[in-house]
Amino acid sequence: MATNAIRGSMAAPAAVATPEIHSDTTVKWFVLGAVGYFAIVGIIALIIAAKFVWPDFLGSISYFTYGRMRPLHVNGMLFGWLLAADMGLAYYIVPRLCGVRLWSEKLGVATSVLWNIIILSAIVTLLGGYQKGIEYGDLPTPVAVLVVIAWVMFGINIFATIARRKYNQMYVSTWYLMGTILWTAFVYLTGNFATLLPGVTGVNQANLTWMYTHNAVGLIFTPAGLAIAYYFIPRASNTPLYSHKLSMIGFWSLAFVYVWTGAHHMLHGPISQWLQTIAIVFSILLLIPVWAVVYNFIATMKGQWHQLNDNVSLKFLMSGTIFYLLTCFQGPMHSLRSVNAIVSKTDWIPGHAHMAVLGTFSFMAMAGVYYVVPRIFHTTLHSEAVANWSFWLFLIGGLGMFTALWLGGFWQGWQWNNPSIPFIDTVVALKPVWMVRFFSGIMIFSGIVLFLYNIMSTALGAGQAKAELARS
Amino acid sequence: MTDYTWQSVYFSYLLFAVLAGGAVFFFIRSVKDGYLGPNSEGPKYRMLEDDPELDPPQPNGATAPRRP
Repeated sequence: MATNAIRGSMAAPAAVATPEIHSDTTVKWFVLGAVGYFAIVGIIALIIAAKFVWPDFLGSISYFTYGRMRPLHVNGMLFGWLLAADMGLAYYIVPRLCGVRLWSEKLGVATSVLWNIIILSAIVTLLGGYQKGIEYGDLPTPVAVLVVIAWVMFGINIFATIARRKYNQMYVSTWYLMGTILWTAFVYLTGNFATLLPGVTGVNQANLTWMYTHNAVGLIFTPAGLAIAYYFIPRASNTPLYSHKLSMIGFWSLAFVYVWTGAHHMLHGPISQWLQTIAIVFSILLLIPVWAVVYNFIATMKGQWHQLNDNVSLKFLMSGTIFYLLTCFQGPMHSLRSVNAIVSKTDWIPGHAHMAVLGTFSFMAMAGVYYVVPRIFHTTLHSEAVANWSFWLFLIGGLGMFTALWLGGFWQGWQWNNPSIPFIDTVVALKPVWMVRFFSGIMIFSGIVLFLYNIMSTALGAGQAKAELARS
Repeated sequence: MTDYTWQSVYFSYLLFAVLAGGAVFFFIRSVKDGYLGPNSEGPKYRMLEDDPELDPPQPNGATAPRRP
């Protein structure tokens, strides 16, 4: 138990004692950048939440209008924070699982520089009102082309590292990360370029857009997040995964099932009934990979739950696992035609999306960042107490936000299904829900600020800690 | 019933077919490589160990022989 506590804690005893094997320069660039963008885009999220309660808030300044803030929030969180953090953690995980150094640190750093150019370009263009108006695909085409180039650079580096691996059989995280790279190529090209082809308009464009939007979560952030969780749950708890075979079953069932589900966002819309039915059937089948993943994680923690007391990474990971179970139960259920008739297009959907992207995959990424940063800087975490505060602020704020949006969304759907209620009355009725979301958002943003402070203090204080160690 | 969505349906289902075909190919290959066999639990123990050192560079840039 003592060993577990040391291994799982934020300290990096092994890294200090052993010679440097991995330089991790690329990991540092990606992870620190991602944490910084998390805080910047968190401010945008708070402004948007405030606008729901006070619509005139910053209303006369064009840069702060909802139409510009919302794409910046979505793209900033997806690409500036979460995907960048996932990529940084992939650069950490893959060389270690393969028993070799990263194929090219120079290429990794170049990818990071390009990624920062992309995010800064996105901030400038989206605030300036230059956007395609496609959900998750708002970035102007030249910026989207840069994303493709950066992704190819990332893919070459990761696949070249895997090709040089020391061990024949790959751990499941490596499979998930390879899947992420290949699926992203298909999904991103569809959402950002195929939707712009001549003749792809109206419902056609919506069909491709929803295939992209849903699979951006299901085939980009889900496999990347699960790769992280499959690596850090055993590492942070120093406990072997319950079943590697089950993890592979989960991986392959996700590979077969997820891609078909996007059209469930268009139920009751002007698309073919058979297309809707296929999307519903495969959405229900999603319960198979979800069960395989969640059972594996919870069974791994059997007899190890006490470690959550003093291990912030595990707190984030296991909370993320529960949110994953909830969000992946919710998804198939609201894909049913009867439920969808109530919740579609309501606040239920952003509640569901936030539980997936923030509650599940951001929690897993934050767990990885808390685990990795002390180790790559060969130091200890700046403050365990601050890390715990950040976790509880995220958890309580997140729960408040998700619950308010689910209940509010259901209520909104019931009202919309009653033609005798004027639409504006349904807007006014939701104000208390949006008030709860705003104050929950303040808690979440406070958690982001503490996370940023703790990670940056750890990174910046590493040199000082080394000097003190040398003196002693 | 007229299907107004044929363009995007054919395009997206072409992508689905490519992805599903790739998944079938690599799934069969992974089964042949023993990922669902009796020795498939090895990677979960190995991933808990830190490499004490990496293999030295091989002559002419060749990679070291793989271990099971």
